[in-house]
Amino acid sequence: MIFLAEGPPGTHPLTPVCGDQYVNLLVIKFYYCALTLDTLVSSAIAIAVTLGLAFFIASRLQPGVPSKLQMIFEAVVSYVRGLVSETVAEDATFIIPIAATIGLYILVANWLDFFPLGFSSLIKPANSDLNQTFAMAIVVFLIVQWYSVKVLGLRGYLRRFTKPFGMNWGFRIGYIPFNIIEEIVKPITLSLRLFGNIFAGLLMVYLLTLIPQAYAWTLPISSAAVAIWKLFDVFFVGTIQAFIFMLLTIIYFGQAREGLEEELHEPHAGQAQRVATATNPD
Amino acid sequence: MNHAISLAGAAIGFGIALGGGAIGAAIGDGLVGNATIAGVSRQPEAQGRLQVIMFLVIGLVEAMYFINLALGFYLVTQANAVTG
Repeated sequence: MIFLAEGPPGTHPLTPVCGDQYVNLLVIKFYYCALTLDTLVSSAIAIAVTLGLAFFIASRLQPGVPSKLQMIFEAVVSYVRGLVSETVAEDATFIIPIAATIGLYILVANWLDFFPLGFSSLIKPANSDLNQTFAMAIVVFLIVQWYSVKVLGLRGYLRRFTKPFGMNWGFRIGYIPFNIIEEIVKPITLSLRLFGNIFAGLLMVYLLTLIPQAYAWTLPISSAAVAIWKLFDVFFVGTIQAFIFMLLTIIYFGQAREGLEEELHEPHAGQAQRVATATNPD
Repeated sequence: MNHAISLAGAAIGFGIALGGGAIGAAIGDGLVGNATIAGVSRQPEAQGRLQVIMFLVIGLVEAMYFINLALGFYLVTQANAVTG
């Protein structure tokens, strides 16, 4: 029972660094001067494993006869490269390391949950803390904004917020608030999706370990249930969520280029569409 | 007394959120499965590619439900901690 029991999820004890002042943000409290030590430790472990794996593969690269691990990684990287050149642009190669690193790190951090984590209160699934996932989402968000300004210029970046480009200006000004909300919501949904999935998996494990504490004879059933649930949760949900985080990062970069093609022939874009619909009613 | 009332309200709200989220996720999963079956029966050789997309969309659809679950649990524990 002791080996099974993992601490109740949702409790990340704060370690104050310079006091425990906070800003009250209505729903949550933002402690700007304290650390959640368990998340730091578990994400440091995940980072160490990720770096170790990457350096291990990089140290024994064989150009002629690749090993199995190298083949898997080459397939992954070439898949990400194809995705980026399809969704974003051919010349946006700097996105490949960002997206592949995020995907690999989240995958490793999720798969590390498969080990029983009950032996220390400092080790938890790294992504079960909202601070961790929100930090990654904020980084992605800021790089996307920088990329958008760099590609479109400041004028094109601001023009992107009047999004249905074919409409007249009255509609487009009315759409500005929706576009701003859409942009702000992106990091929030990105972080909450990952956090919610991993946290719900942890919650399920915790609830399953509560049953034998009330009825001792259910211990073998509960242990088997925990193992099966962890197989499903870690290897199915964890993998899919890591992939989705990576895919959405690339898609957001693709959306940051919106309006680049229309910019080149702006005055005729709306007219051409109207003429096309008028002459081709079906 | 106040604690009991606010905790009961939080629990009832959590239950309603879970139920509504489950309905939405189930409908979404059903639509995804429907579209996949239609696609496979129309073009059986595309089954491999369609299954990858299906699991991807299922992940996206069910993420909303898991966000519901996690935030609901978080808010219930917060209500318990603040007033108790």
